[in-house]
Amino acid sequence: MKTDISKMRNIGISAHIDSGKTTLTERILFYTKKIHKMHEVHGKDGVGATMDSMELEKERGITITSAATRVEWLDNSINIIDTPGHVDFTIEVERSLRVLDGGILVLCSVGGVQSQSITVDRQLKRHKVPTIAFINKCDRVGADPYKVRDQLDEKLGHNAVLMQIPIGLEDKFEGVIDLVAMKAVYYDGEDGEIIRTTDIPAELQPEANAKREDMLDAVSMFSDELMEAVLEERATENQIRDAARKGTISRKMIPVFMGSAYKNKGIQLLLDAAVHYLPNPAEVDNIATDLENEDREIKLEPDPDAGTVALAFKLEDGAYGQLTYIRIYQGSVKKGDELYNSRSRTNFRVGRLIRMHADSMKDIHDASSGDIVALFGIDCASGDTFVKPGLNLSMTSIYVPDPVISLSVNPEDAKSSDKMARALNRFTKEDPTFKTYVDPESKQTIIQGMGELHLDVYVERMRREYSVNVDTGKPEVAYREAISQRVDFNYTHKKQTGGAGQFGRVQGYIEPLAEGQYEFVNKIKGGNIPKEFIPSCDKGFKSSMKKGQLIGFPIIGIKAVLNDGQSHPVDSSDLAFQTAAREAFKQAYAKAKPQILEPIMKVSVEGPSEFVGNVFATINQRRGIIISSVEDGLFARVDAEVPLSEMFGYSTTLRSLTQGKAEFTMEFLKYGKVPTNISDDLKALYREKKLSN
Amino acid sequence: MVKSELIKRSPLRILEKSIQGGLGKGNIGILASRKGVGKTACLVHIATDKLLQNKPVIHVSYSSRVDYIINWYEDIFKEIAKKRQLESAVDVHDEIIKNRVIMNFKQDGVNTEQVLKSLTAMIEYGKFAADAIIVDGFDFTQSCSDDLDLFKNFAEKLGLEVWFSASLKGEEPLFNESGVPFLLEGCLGKLDVLITLRFEKDHVQLNLVKDPEFSSTKNLDLKLDPKTLLISEHGE
Repeated sequence: MKTDISKMRNIGISAHIDSGKTTLTERILFYTKKIHKMHEVHGKDGVGATMDSMELEKERGITITSAATRVEWLDNSINIIDTPGHVDFTIEVERSLRVLDGGILVLCSVGGVQSQSITVDRQLKRHKVPTIAFINKCDRVGADPYKVRDQLDEKLGHNAVLMQIPIGLEDKFEGVIDLVAMKAVYYDGEDGEIIRTTDIPAELQPEANAKREDMLDAVSMFSDELMEAVLEERATENQIRDAARKGTISRKMIPVFMGSAYKNKGIQLLLDAAVHYLPNPAEVDNIATDLENEDREIKLEPDPDAGTVALAFKLEDGAYGQLTYIRIYQGSVKKGDELYNSRSRTNFRVGRLIRMHADSMKDIHDASSGDIVALFGIDCASGDTFVKPGLNLSMTSIYVPDPVISLSVNPEDAKSSDKMARALNRFTKEDPTFKTYVDPESKQTIIQGMGELHLDVYVERMRREYSVNVDTGKPEVAYREAISQRVDFNYTHKKQTGGAGQFGRVQGYIEPLAEGQYEFVNKIKGGNIPKEFIPSCDKGFKSSMKKGQLIGFPIIGIKAVLNDGQSHPVDSSDLAFQTAAREAFKQAYAKAKPQILEPIMKVSVEGPSEFVGNVFATINQRRGIIISSVEDGLFARVDAEVPLSEMFGYSTTLRSLTQGKAEFTMEFLKYGKVPTNISDDLKALYREKKLSN
Repeated sequence: MVKSELIKRSPLRILEKSIQGGLGKGNIGILASRKGVGKTACLVHIATDKLLQNKPVIHVSYSSRVDYIINWYEDIFKEIAKKRQLESAVDVHDEIIKNRVIMNFKQDGVNTEQVLKSLTAMIEYGKFAADAIIVDGFDFTQSCSDDLDLFKNFAEKLGLEVWFSASLKGEEPLFNESGVPFLLEGCLGKLDVLITLRFEKDHVQLNLVKDPEFSSTKNLDLKLDPKTLLISEHGE
């Protein structure tokens, strides 16, 4: 059965941890009749919310992996992609955002726009996802949805428009007034499943009138028809919704809704809003690159009969084997179809096609463009593109940052060794920011990732899901080396005694490259180095950058320019020029004032204002630079740039200094110069290590 | 031009000369004008001049978002670097931003005691040896006298210069016959320097209304260039 694409929504729920996202998702599933009993995320009854499919998430009360689930509402099909909120798992968020057409930004009515909200908002903006906002926890002490709306404008630069106002707040929160229909909406029954719509209570009428006017002012900007109707006082609900939909899809406004997921209030209207205001898959432009045609960009057509293009955005290794979540952008996928993986260049056949509910699944026969489904037993990596054989398209790849931290892991016994390898193999397939290799010198297995917590989670998962206990080493920062000035080189590699000789001379210079890792420029005129050996020189330089001379970390930011050289008719070879380039680089590098760089993280700390002094002190002690602080009376946020090497154990320090009331997020910002004293220590340590080996 | 030369030739040296060698530690200066005349540009120029002399500055903002203020600094620095053809501008830029912190407060949510507490925390716990505090967007119609006393004590105790901007609103006339804005008449005694900005034909004129030594209006030989938004000398 084909679904009408205009009645399809792919939405994600983005939020700060603890703003109640998982509870909200649970309620959505309940109201759409998918599950029959609701559970809290912290699982007082030991069951836990349905979307949190992993043990570990249940324990920490946070959602780490994204699962897609399908619900039905108002005759529409909605795929909900659960997006993780913590910044340490950014790649997961990026991947889910890639396949969304619309987002719900959940905010806490007390905490408002917090540092993580800012992070997820930036992600939504980066992927140009039309968004509606839901202000949750209106039943909490200190709830102030009006303040949160203002923060959406002030802190995030949105044009946030209240589509509802609350009826009572805190423990008197009863329901909402729908400013479009101008009705009061209450939620009766044990689980708020009975919606009671009444006239607006007299005491709230003036407030409702004023806010409706504000709303109409904002919304009528997107429709001349509505503007006229408003002037003539004959605006209909549909006119208002159409205009707000236009504004939302063009990302010029964010309609704001409110409620309390925990108290079962406001959820059904939020679902209505997702259908009313968020785009269907056909209303969003999607671009693929044509690998056959110089990577030209092609706009995909949401036509179910066109050639299939789908993106594998999520891999899960469950009890029944590997499950691959795909988003279909063009054409259809049927059971038994043959598809082509444009990355691995292999064909495969679609076996079972599945539609997922968080922890249960349903076999289906086919699915068409716009939909999100899962395949069983496909060997692939996340981010792969599947197309109809004959097409050779790739969905633009998701930006994958380089890992900034590494940790050695040793299985406690030989038996665990195999299991560990299996676990690591799976994790690296699931998460492109998680990498692993065996250090050739120490023979230890090293895992690499985006932060301490990121690696912690995988160590925990090895223990829980694969029963592998590992000893971990001290986390190590991914340093880099770079040169700070231009140096000329002129090197002759010559070995002409006995047997086949080697000869190659290279001349040129290396200089710092402001942006990018490496650039090779060939300025040789007249063929002093034969054309076929130019790539050999490039290769030689490049291979020299894998390991710097200061502390053995990769070198970045090099422009290598070749402007002259010499060859020998017999003795010159690929190998000879590679060696010449390597040796030339080695000599030039030492003279180019090389320095050690370290990852600098953008750190945001947030908590009650009273702790702001403590936070300043912790940043200062960690060689950090405070960029700014923002205080609004109760809460304070401090933004700083701090070297990653100083951030180990920061969460513990922060927790104990602030009685657990402050939290922080951090993400990689740039590589910065290491101060001389630390750089000397690092060099001494490297020499020691080399000697002992 | 190298950095030291740029500092020496800054039009702000004229301002310093006119007010007997600069605002001075423990003192309070105010730049007052209508909204949109260029107070923030002047404040940021004064702050940038300090930063170029390796003097740390805390920029306190009551109104604007942090990224907005950072943009102001970027723009002003760019204009100065361009105008004076500053050598190794990128390095100078990277160096000076280490000496700048922006602290944003909501005036209706945070009282002056709390602001000063946070500033003290920044200086003491954050080990940020501020030389000057720039206060932008403080609403003088909400409060004036008592808050200025608190700021003055703070400035004296910690040996800092404090520069405010004051936004003038309402119907003309805004100034009394001595050129003092009516809004600030009540707290004139607490100020050490008062400069007003007024539109004149094709530029914005800076007038010195009060300095530590005397208190009658005189035209500073300074204007605000409407294009670059930099303080500059007349005839430049």
